[in-house]
Parts: sequence; C-alpha cells; structure tokens
Amino acid sequence: MIDFLLPSLGADMDVAKLNCWLVKPGDTVHKGQIIAEVETEKATLEVECWHDGVIEELLVEPGPARLPVGTLLARIRSLDEAAQPLAPHEPPAELVTTPPAEPMHEVSAQPPPPVRHLAHELGVDLAALGGSGPDGAITRDDVRRAARAPTPETAVPFVSRPTRVRATPRARSLARSRGIDLADLPATGPQGMVSAGDVERTARPPEIIDEPEDKVSAMRRAIARSMSHSKREIPHYYLATTIDLDRSVKWLEAANEERPVTQRILPAALLIKATALAAREVPEVNGHWVGDGFAPAPSVHLGVAISIREGGLVAPALHDADHLSLDELMSRLRDLVNRARSWRLKSSEMSDPTITMTNLGDRGVETAFPVIIPPQVAMVGFGRVVDKPVAVNGRVLVHPVVTASLAADHRVTDGHRGGLFLASIDRLLQEPENL
Amino acid sequence: MNTQEARQVIFEVLGDIAPEVDPSIVDDDLDLTEQLDLDSMDYLNWMVGINEVTGIDIPQRDVSRFLTIAGAVGYIVEHSS
Repeated sequence: MIDFLLPSLGADMDVAKLNCWLVKPGDTVHKGQIIAEVETEKATLEVECWHDGVIEELLVEPGPARLPVGTLLARIRSLDEAAQPLAPHEPPAELVTTPPAEPMHEVSAQPPPPVRHLAHELGVDLAALGGSGPDGAITRDDVRRAARAPTPETAVPFVSRPTRVRATPRARSLARSRGIDLADLPATGPQGMVSAGDVERTARPPEIIDEPEDKVSAMRRAIARSMSHSKREIPHYYLATTIDLDRSVKWLEAANEERPVTQRILPAALLIKATALAAREVPEVNGHWVGDGFAPAPSVHLGVAISIREGGLVAPALHDADHLSLDELMSRLRDLVNRARSWRLKSSEMSDPTITMTNLGDRGVETAFPVIIPPQVAMVGFGRVVDKPVAVNGRVLVHPVVTASLAADHRVTDGHRGGLFLASIDRLLQEPENL
Repeated sequence: MNTQEARQVIFEVLGDIAPEVDPSIVDDDLDLTEQLDLDSMDYLNWMVGINEVTGIDIPQRDVSRFLTIAGAVGYIVEHSS
C-alpha cells in the first residue's frame, strides 16, 4: 500500500487547502495523472500521482482546512498488490509504505523467531508491519523492506511518536494526517488498540482560514516570505556580461520566416535553452541548499519567472529543459505561461525548479539583478535586447546585444564558477543552430 | 470581414489575454504592447488567437502590422476572403 502525501509545493509553501478530488476509491490511477486540486497562496495546483495503482481510500475531505505538506491524503494500492498479492515489491523510495494487510493484522500470531530476530537487529517494529506471506504472515523480506523504507517520522516530520502504540492502520493513517500523537489518545478499540474512532473523537478541529483572501494579496505575502528568507539567508553575489546576439537573432528570424504564427519561436526560448544547457555544464549552480550543504540536482528543471497581470509572479519549472528541442520548449513555455496566468499549475512545477531565470526584456530594462528563490542557489536574469556598437574583428558594428546577469549563492560557488556559467551561456548563444 | 468584424475579433482575443482591458480606452494608433503592458508571449498569443479565429496566417515579415489596432484591423480586412 502506498501512502499518498501532500507533496512539496515550492519554496516556503508549507500548507494548502484541498479543493477537490479528481478520483474516487476504486479508480485506477497512473503515474503522472492529476488526482487532486489544491490551493496555495501562489496558485491553484494540480497534484500528480507518482505511482500506478488503485485508489484504496481518500482520507481528507475537500474543505477550507489548511493541510501541512506531508499530510496523508489517500492510500493507493499498487497494481502489483492487486494482481499478485504475494509478490514482493520494492517500496517507493520517497514515500512511506504501509502494510498491504488485514486491518487487524496486529492480532495475528507472532512471526517465527528468525523473523523476530531480524526485526530486532534492524530496529523494525513488527507491530507496524503487514505480512506478504501466506495468510498475511510477516516474512524476513517484509522486515528488510521495512528497514529500507523511510520511517513515517522521516516522511511526515510533524508527527511525533516516541513510543509504539497499538493502533489499527486506519487510526495510524488518520492520526498521521492530522498530526496527532497516538500516545495521547484513549484506546477503546479491539485488543486495547487505538481505533479510528478514537482519533476522530480527539482530532482537533482543522484550522480554518478566517476570511477568504484575494489571490493577489496571498501571492504578495508568499513572495514577501520567500524573498525575505532569501535575502536573510543567502549570501548573494552578482555578475553580469553583455552577450552579442547577432547570430541568434539572425538565425531566429530565418527560422521564423518559414513558420506559421502558431509555430513561431520567441527569443526567450533560445535564452532558456542556453541557460539550461549551461546549468548542465556547471552543475554547481543547479540544485538546492539543503540543511547546511549543497545538493546538486540530477536534472535541469528550469524555473521561469512569469509575471501575473493582476500583480505578483510565479516561477514554475520547465522540466528537463536542457533536453527539449526549441519547438518542444516553446510549446511547453506557452502552455506554462497560459496556465500560470490562469492560476492552474501542477504541484511538481512549483516544487521542482533547480535554477530559475527571469527575462525582463519585454519591460524595457537592460539589466536584472535577481534575488535567488530558496532553496535554489542561482538565478539568471536577461534584460532587453538592444542594438549597440560592438567590436568585431577590429571593426565597430552595430549588433543586437543582451545583458545576462547571475545572482548566485556564495556558500556554493565563487565568482569564478559563476563567470564560467555566464560564459557558457554566451558560447551556446553563438551557435543557435545547435540549441 | 469588414472593419467592424475585424475589430470585434481583435478585442475578443485580447479579452482572453488581458481581461481587464476596456476597449474604449485603447488608442488605435499607439503601440499596443506599451499601452496594455503585453509581453512577447502575450503578443504572440494574441496573433495566434487571431489566426485561430480568422484562419489568416501572420508571417514573420508582417508582424509589424500588428503593433497597433489600426494596423491589425487593416491587415485582417485585406487578407480575409
């Protein structure tokens, strides 16, 4: 059984309201499918499911309650479980696995001594395990899997459970989703276990948002929190360079001449692709500051700052931007901008950016001085493309140029690496046909 | 398509991109992107929308005709059958 938790929703976004479910118990779901809609201060987000399976139960009702990231929203039975209940399966790395078991498995007979011994060695609580063996018996494989899986405390950090309390799985789920310590509850269930009813009766009423607030004010507050965090915590350094865009502009004009308006490529697509490729070349700018160290990201999910007409901005990710062709990139960018401006983004787009770029060229400014979006460690800015005199092979020519700037986290990189990153962007823009 | 119909299409599509815009305050002869604070993606989406409604393609060399409402109206009237 897979616990479906409220995923991370982006920088400094730690609560959301559940607007609606798009699935019901018994529905088959697929990896990448949108199964719920939640609302944060910055956007209405479509929450994706990251597993194939069947919805076992939905544990949270849509409503105004503010749910912390990590809240248990639903339980999903994996397809393996449905088809072959005895086959062992790897637990998903990032999620808590809970037993594919009878609701009252804790009352079943004790596992044989070798299993108990292994559980003791690995520090696994047998009372919390479901068995995949005959008649739900716990096997050594079950114990090993449980030892490898992240503990509920890791995945849902707001739950504090120092001692193991006997409780039904449903009660555990409910308690976890509401941040309640089972140890605090009266146990009136069978065999002296805490039942779901015990949790329901004790549950604090969910925190209700006092008054509906307009989206723009909420977004402003979210930006204030994120940017204050950034300026307080991140020692920024700034670099800028002027990039000759003559080749890129000419190449783009020729390419667009052949294309209908529906397939036209904007200069921003070239800048995005060059930035994403450069981030792959200089991996120290692509990733997150986690705890007290830098965690490089294995992929380049380029956040794109998109201004909202009513005010504010969001910076959702173009996933794997370094691997997209310019046509794919342009079509994804159009889709992303349109959805951002109609407040409809996916949760992964808000949580995944590994580096962000802002393009303020349309607003007339020549140079941007970006503020890094935590926990990212770099942000790239592009200004307006302007015609300027440039020296080319000893002659002065007028070429379109753009100022590319970098704000980077000095805890992770120094000016030298930052300079190499901007130089990579420059070099890549000199060969637009290879982007 | 006559001038009136072309104007209607132009503002209908613009309404999807910049819903707050009051057509009566838009100056037909001034740069549209500056007047309405449209960025390059808005501007492209506007032309794509006009293409979808009218079927008229807008090649790159003619984009400058769409800098103003007057220019866009003239272009649509000329190219609609």
